[in-house]
Amino acid sequence: MSGWKGGSHVGVALSAALALAACVPNEPPSAGAPATLRRLSNDQYRNIIADVFGPQITVAGQADALQRSYGLLAVGASKAEITPSGYEKYYAMARSVARQAVSLDNRASVVPCTPRSAAEPDENCAQQFFVKVGRLLYRRPLAPAELALVLRMAGEGARLRQDFYGGLEVGLVGMLQSPQFLFVVDTLEPDPAHAGKPRLTAYARAARLSLLLWNTSPNEQLLTAAEHGALDGAAGRKDIVDRMLSSPRVEAGVRAFFEDFLRFDQFETLEKDSVIYPAFSVRVVEDAREQVLRTVLKHVLDKRADYRDLFTTRDTFITGSLARIYRVPTAKPEGSAWVPYEFPDDDPRAGLLTEVGFAALASHPGRSSPTLRGRAIRENLLCQKVPDPPGNVDFSRFESADAQKKTARERLALHSTNAACAGCHKITDPIGLALENLDGIGQFRSTENGVVIDASGTLDGVPFNDAAGLGRAMRDNPATTSCVVQRLASYSLGRNTTGSDKPFVDYLGQSFARDDYDFLELLRRVALSETLFAVAPPVGASSGVQTARMEP
Amino acid sequence: MSILLPRTITRRRVLRSVLDGAAVTLALPFLDCALNGNGTALAASGKPLPLRFGTWYWGMGHTPGHAIAEKAQTGSGIGFLEETAALKPLADQLNFFSGFGMPLDGRSNYTHFTGWVGNRTGSVPQKEGEIASPTLDLLIADTIGAGTRFKTLDASSAGIARENYSARSTESRAQAEISPVALYTRLFGPDFVDPNAGTFQPDPAVMLEKSVLSAFVEQNRDFSRTLGAEDRRRLDEYFTSIRQLENRLALQLEKPVPNEVCVRPARPAEPAPDKLAQVREIPNVIETHAIMAKLLAMAVACNQTRVFNMVFTDNFANVRKKGETYTHHLLTHTEMIDPSRGYQPMAFWFNQRCSEAFAAYLATLASIREGSGTLLDNCLIFAASETNYAKLHTIDSIPVWLAGKAAGRIKTGLHVVGGGDPITRVGLTAMKIMGVPLRNWGTKSLQTSKPITEVMV
Amino acid sequence: MRRAPRAVRLGLCLALLATAVPSAQAESKSGTQTLGFVIRDWFTSVYNSKFVDECPEGIAISNDEVWWRSLPRADRARLTGNGLIQQLNRMPTAMQRGPNGENVCLSPASVKDPPMRVVEGKYSYGVDLDGRSNSAATPRSCPHQNFTHPDGTPGIDNQMYRLVGCVYGWRKGGLPELNAHEGRGTSGLGMTLVEITGVTDPRNSPDVTVTFYRSVNQFALDGNGKPLPYSSYNVDMAGNKPRYGDSLKGSIKNGVLTTMRGDVRLPFYGNYNFLHPSIRDMGLRLEIAADGATAKGLVTGYYNMDEFLYYVGGMVGHTSTADDCPAMYVAAHELADGYPDPKTGQCTHLSAAFDLTAYAAFVVHPEAQRSKR
Repeated sequence: MSGWKGGSHVGVALSAALALAACVPNEPPSAGAPATLRRLSNDQYRNIIADVFGPQITVAGQADALQRSYGLLAVGASKAEITPSGYEKYYAMARSVARQAVSLDNRASVVPCTPRSAAEPDENCAQQFFVKVGRLLYRRPLAPAELALVLRMAGEGARLRQDFYGGLEVGLVGMLQSPQFLFVVDTLEPDPAHAGKPRLTAYARAARLSLLLWNTSPNEQLLTAAEHGALDGAAGRKDIVDRMLSSPRVEAGVRAFFEDFLRFDQFETLEKDSVIYPAFSVRVVEDAREQVLRTVLKHVLDKRADYRDLFTTRDTFITGSLARIYRVPTAKPEGSAWVPYEFPDDDPRAGLLTEVGFAALASHPGRSSPTLRGRAIRENLLCQKVPDPPGNVDFSRFESADAQKKTARERLALHSTNAACAGCHKITDPIGLALENLDGIGQFRSTENGVVIDASGTLDGVPFNDAAGLGRAMRDNPATTSCVVQRLASYSLGRNTTGSDKPFVDYLGQSFARDDYDFLELLRRVALSETLFAVAPPVGASSGVQTARMEP
Repeated sequence: MSILLPRTITRRRVLRSVLDGAAVTLALPFLDCALNGNGTALAASGKPLPLRFGTWYWGMGHTPGHAIAEKAQTGSGIGFLEETAALKPLADQLNFFSGFGMPLDGRSNYTHFTGWVGNRTGSVPQKEGEIASPTLDLLIADTIGAGTRFKTLDASSAGIARENYSARSTESRAQAEISPVALYTRLFGPDFVDPNAGTFQPDPAVMLEKSVLSAFVEQNRDFSRTLGAEDRRRLDEYFTSIRQLENRLALQLEKPVPNEVCVRPARPAEPAPDKLAQVREIPNVIETHAIMAKLLAMAVACNQTRVFNMVFTDNFANVRKKGETYTHHLLTHTEMIDPSRGYQPMAFWFNQRCSEAFAAYLATLASIREGSGTLLDNCLIFAASETNYAKLHTIDSIPVWLAGKAAGRIKTGLHVVGGGDPITRVGLTAMKIMGVPLRNWGTKSLQTSKPITEVMV
Repeated sequence: MRRAPRAVRLGLCLALLATAVPSAQAESKSGTQTLGFVIRDWFTSVYNSKFVDECPEGIAISNDEVWWRSLPRADRARLTGNGLIQQLNRMPTAMQRGPNGENVCLSPASVKDPPMRVVEGKYSYGVDLDGRSNSAATPRSCPHQNFTHPDGTPGIDNQMYRLVGCVYGWRKGGLPELNAHEGRGTSGLGMTLVEITGVTDPRNSPDVTVTFYRSVNQFALDGNGKPLPYSSYNVDMAGNKPRYGDSLKGSIKNGVLTTMRGDVRLPFYGNYNFLHPSIRDMGLRLEIAADGATAKGLVTGYYNMDEFLYYVGGMVGHTSTADDCPAMYVAAHELADGYPDPKTGQCTHLSAAFDLTAYAAFVVHPEAQRSKR
């Protein structure tokens, strides 16, 4: 397990930001939302297993993907259930992880004690193991009944298998398939400050923080700090948040948010026609996804640059397979070696939208799609809903003309002649057409079917001439920042932010502006907010506040 | 086989120790839950063969006027045209349903979504992505699915696990197996108990595993009681899932009925990397589909499941032909109609592949002899798309097939004309045939209590 | 179109090495650009007629056939006694037939075989290297027969073709050529990079410099094994200097690069042999496709005969080349037409032509990359 004293991503800049804190508005009060269960994402599952048992454990296979809700898988996690086939996968993962965790190679680092005999039960040692591991897996100490059960199972297992570690394996499988592990549980206790109202237990608060900032469960130190009340007061919490933000592990947290925000789960099913795009390969899929994330991480973590400049930045990283698509040289053409790269000033590429990741993802397998790209910009990056196509369109009017039209702009122009189509296509197409110089995998082209591509257009009234111009218009569009703020709020709260959350989202938005659109500072404000921990009384709970049961 | 216990431990020892351990209920005898009165028993035992239900999905409907000849009223003779020619040899195993409607009650037609949801759940979605009622395969599985290792199986050759058309609700949508090797491992991997293996010894490791699960389930129920109502409801699905695994383990402890039809198939080869990168190219889709069809058919014959869902291509038909810039889906909307042929030639080409794949699927089921007939004779396969004519996104007259003889419970060879009746009449008919105790099915204008008696025996 | 100049630049794969390479930097200031290519196909240019008219006596007799014919009847009977001795097994055996058991491919002068069947046809690909369309010698060439190009051009010099054109393995689709080609594709050995500097317009540039390097990176291939254009290849360096790096001046007209002639040493790998053949009076003609992504070309010049014979002699096994080393050794000396040895008068080079295809590439100069970091 890694502590939180790592390399410093933020140090100095954070204190500078603190100096400005005086002019930032105060966080508005929040009523919170009812406690909920959030199913772990596949990445969180992997991170937790690596943290608890070591990075050498392979998590074979993966569970069913979460379903996106209100633009985020993190919101879907609060609604996700476990289907029979999905449970089978979790169960198989549990068996595989448990077997590896107590294997000869790993037991020394995983099990904190040595049994009297490796061939028989040793309740004392098993207890030490499950107290330690159980607390990390359930994100709180095990309740007495929980501990008793797992010890009994481990004892039975050890006796039958004549193997102490085999017994631990039996118990571990049981824990790893439990909802207490697979779901992050908002455990509640009475709020001493507000009689009759619940609040999150210190452990549940630690879990929210850790999942937000590091995309994993709280580690031993954080749980212990929480246990000692470190998250009860503002000062202690600030100390913890700043230490967590200073750790290199914050990269996993920021990465997870942007993967969700940018809908990068779509890369898992991304395919391109191999005849039309021979330069596209499985490696390109991986590299294109990673390129965008590296660009983002460098921008918001290393440079602490203005979030908006992500849409204009020329600063990125490339591999050999990407260099080929960008048609630029690289000294490391083979494998997936990453080298920093800066697009020259006169290069038509600038900003995230012109990277292969975006261009290829929002395209068809054999061609670009201004409509898909426009929709991705509107929905993913500006948080604007593009209505679905009406169900009763007669496409006949487009088809015959399509074949004669040389460029996407000409083809799509036909949609504007149909009122039913024009309404939505005018939302998506003008901005999508700005990226037409990038083909279905993001290779630059100046013509389509011999006709010079016109990439000009407007975004909400701001004119541009090309993809870089669209990037500038995106940079200056107020929705660009309000969208990332709203999504980060929803992401951290695990639910769609609604009207009652508006003051909080507004507060974050104003703070973001005052912090010069420093994303890490925004993340810090969320992590320090009261809203992150606010809960409303549960709806329809049969036994109300659960404090008694959860204390060991 | 279980990882939890080496096979050297005796069953008696496990029973003794687990029971000594107290607080753990070992659900014996397993036979009670493993077999229900509806069928069971296999050819070797001389008892009736079980009835099975499957669904088969393809995207983009068909080409009206070129797939099935229009009919004014219900009658025998399906009227196969060029697009469905591959199905002609299977005419005596098929019924075709046309002219059934999907009234929306003022809701939107979410293109390529509303159609399959209405058809399979009887409820039209109110918003994109919403699945308000369970799909019919799950209702049927609730009735006939007990006593098999898998209550339902879901496989897809379309390469997208999420695009599967079996769901209890929006949040509880089963994901399909998209890898033939993974499907094989799940069905015929180490946990498969060969019914024809001469000797059977209950695996004590499995007994231990099952007892551990049971113990944790009890504790997790306590945990569940501390949650809010909505979260409790969400966990119900989790408990259902565990129960299915428990049943599966229970079956592994039970001596299987010998079944001469059941032969563990060969493990499919790992696909080559270039194929893995092009899973949605039509030849690869067809190949995957053929492998999966064989695995599913044998899984059904081996009584691993009685309800099985296969997706050939997904509802957005994200499949393509090498070198063609348009996918099947895009072609249906943009390709010109060839005036001499009267249809979109490339879209038609894809539709034809879908008919061929369906024919191949049925032929695979029919290739397994069972009793005096074939596996297909003991199946009912509900096959449908999400649209009638994809070019226009029409959801009236969505093509639906019922295939197989359902152990003699269905008449075949008919083209049933719906005359605008709700399409749920077809689903209700299928469920009635499968013995689901339903008086009516569907919501709002899709509600119906009238099965199609013309096809019922 | 706002971005047209840039677009053209990209479309034609002009290497963005301006900032990376000192020499290119200067060019950048003068407004010129650099084109790069990696050579994939390299095949000896052979003219094959449908009915093998160019070889009136037939295809050349192979080493193992010579050996077999030389065996007494009793030995042949013994070797085929049980009918199980296969062609492939006798190939290596056949090579050990020097008077003292020498390998006749490594010691081709150790035996005297019947004369090799060489090309006697009228036509050949290639160019007129010596400026004469008759068989007379010049100060730089020995007497030799000329060919006519299939397009009618007289005076074609291609003694390499005359030498190997009747050898089964060297005719179109022959194994040694294909095996060498395959080996380069998968191993990345012997890969030639072509860098064209001083380009003012990728389709028409009056004065360019063409430099040949060896790549240390393998081909970047697509799923079908075809090279992907616009990949980067690092130049093989020996210390601070490129290991290869001979240059020719030239010009581009309507997308066709034509160089002047000069001596060039190229990397070569094939059939598990490494060469670095010196090609004298080498010229390159390269037709660059309109989109700049690919090119087809012809390399002509005088190929060093000793290096060629070393290559042929060193091929492993000679399993399918169907040549006869001692006869080829003699024939090569008779046919060599370039660069007579001042002492003996024996010509040391064979006029030759090679067909090639190339793919747009970035020729990366490592030392420059280091300075950029």
